[in-house]
Amino acid sequence: MNKSKIFGVFDQEEKLVSSIRSIKAKGISISDVVSPYPVHEVFEELNLKTRIPVAAFLYGIFGLLTTFGFLYWTSVVNYPLVFGGKPQNTLSFVIIIFVMVINVTVAFTLITFFLIEKKGPGAKPSVEYPGISDNRYLIVIDITPETDVKALNKLLMDTGAVEITEQ
Amino acid sequence: MYNKSFRGVLIKGNKTYGQITSEILAPQERKAPLWWFVSMGISTLGMLIGIYAIFITISQGIGTWGVNNSIGWGWGIINFVWWIGIGHAGTAFSIFLLILRQKWRTSINRAAEAMTVVAVICAGMFPMLHMGRIWMAFFIFPYPNSRGPLWVNFNSPLFWDVVAISTYFMASATFWYLGMIPDLATVRDRAKSKIKKAIYGLLSFGWVGSARSWLRFETAAIIMGGLTAPLVIAVHSIVSMDFATSVMAGWHTTVFPPYFVIGAIFSGFAMVLTLMIIIRKVFKFQDYVTEGHIDAIGRILTFISLIMGTAYSTEIFIAWYSGMEGELYTFFHNRIAGDHTKAFWTMVSCNAIIPQLFWFKKIRHSMTMVFIISIIINIGMWFERYVIVITSLTKDYLPSNWASYTPTWVEIGIFVGTLSIFVIGVLLFIRYIPMMAMSELKMILKGTSIITNSNKSKDHE
Repeated sequence: MNKSKIFGVFDQEEKLVSSIRSIKAKGISISDVVSPYPVHEVFEELNLKTRIPVAAFLYGIFGLLTTFGFLYWTSVVNYPLVFGGKPQNTLSFVIIIFVMVINVTVAFTLITFFLIEKKGPGAKPSVEYPGISDNRYLIVIDITPETDVKALNKLLMDTGAVEITEQ
Repeated sequence: MYNKSFRGVLIKGNKTYGQITSEILAPQERKAPLWWFVSMGISTLGMLIGIYAIFITISQGIGTWGVNNSIGWGWGIINFVWWIGIGHAGTAFSIFLLILRQKWRTSINRAAEAMTVVAVICAGMFPMLHMGRIWMAFFIFPYPNSRGPLWVNFNSPLFWDVVAISTYFMASATFWYLGMIPDLATVRDRAKSKIKKAIYGLLSFGWVGSARSWLRFETAAIIMGGLTAPLVIAVHSIVSMDFATSVMAGWHTTVFPPYFVIGAIFSGFAMVLTLMIIIRKVFKFQDYVTEGHIDAIGRILTFISLIMGTAYSTEIFIAWYSGMEGELYTFFHNRIAGDHTKAFWTMVSCNAIIPQLFWFKKIRHSMTMVFIISIIINIGMWFERYVIVITSLTKDYLPSNWASYTPTWVEIGIFVGTLSIFVIGVLLFIRYIPMMAMSELKMILKGTSIITNSNKSKDHE
């Protein structure tokens, strides 16, 4: 069976980061880096970005408009109950809108996270290697016809990999 | 930047990442000790008492409670507010300290969040039961109906409460679970038995820990945290408005929202302290929850206790300054002196006076003393809710309405039931879920806790 991925295994964060730099310098593209905790330098090196904050902001606006719409419809259009001559479109809406904006944004942000990550009950881990959720770091590189596997293995070993495997 | 030489290390013992994993998971990988089964047995018994009391309440009605026409809110509401207060700990702790970038939260946040979720479940039961006809509880949600359609009253704090507490429960439970996923994946990866692997595999949602996932995970967590922080303020302010928007003497005051929020954080932090002292002692987690952690919570409690004292004094001052007879009577003849003196002074001593002992470093560093004071605060906070609910209702503006209130065994039974549910929740948590956020501990380890030779020489320079 043809192997499609190379795993460079590291046991220290510093070595992982310096290895990523060396690999990048050679122009080899890294498909993934796995670590037991978030390493911010890796985010920078891989130039990773996320649009979750933009999505969350839009969910917030959606929550605001729907809640206001619902409150206006129920209290002003659908059943305009008169209480003490006060206006039906009241300021107390603000409190419900405030809470519902939080409600909608939290729920939808979470759903978005799971959807883009393709994670949920029963989802299988995309990478399996002993210790990656404990004290090991992985650099995953896809093997293409152009990949010089030997040179890559040497580069990984030289930069401090404790093990190299192919899967 | 955390200054180790000035503030001391956060995690003692120059731990390695592997050590953190194995030490935190050790209690779960061992067989459950005898005390766990004994505590579980006792709590289950307590829960059965609670279930029976709830059965009596539902089958026979609210008449089985000690409440009457004047004192419509008895233990049901006292306990609701008390539990909701405790339920603020997780979010207050975890989220406020997260957005303030306080690294010492990492040893404690998981337990605090777990506590929140269980406490909010306990709290939510009381207003539902208080409705009497629990099968009509769905009336509180606004949905198109055949009664007009008659919508709920969107101007009522009671409805705001429904919205705020359900949102709070959803937000804190999902925040807790999201934070737990990487650690559940660690349990999955270490599991030896097939069943355990399958269960934790299902619970960990296929988590791997790739850089992209971590970035999205951290972003989602900070957004959820940032949004839930104002919710903490909103929830308890709204609970306080259940009281403050009425015209009862002793309730109708503008100090209530901040007073309730601070009180909630106070009782929540105290409960976190109680729980963490037990956990660190029983599971020998002294390296993770150090004296420094306990000291930090002690300092926060000293400050909050001062605010509590100020709030109590403000209430009394305003009652006198307003010159309103009802207020004067409630505060000076029904709280400070009168029928409810004991409850009032218990509240003041437990919340405003005794916690001042935390000014002394010796007290903050004596685990027994800290433990005792944390329990005292929780008792004090229960009495605060008792004083607010009962004293104002027993003697309102019309002397012909005056009545007394004693809880029946049914009300006490429900309270015992919720206490037991809380203990069961905590016992299940310490048995099946990593008690500390391992991935977060690992993240802060290097910057806050590892002393290398170069560090040492730098410190001596």
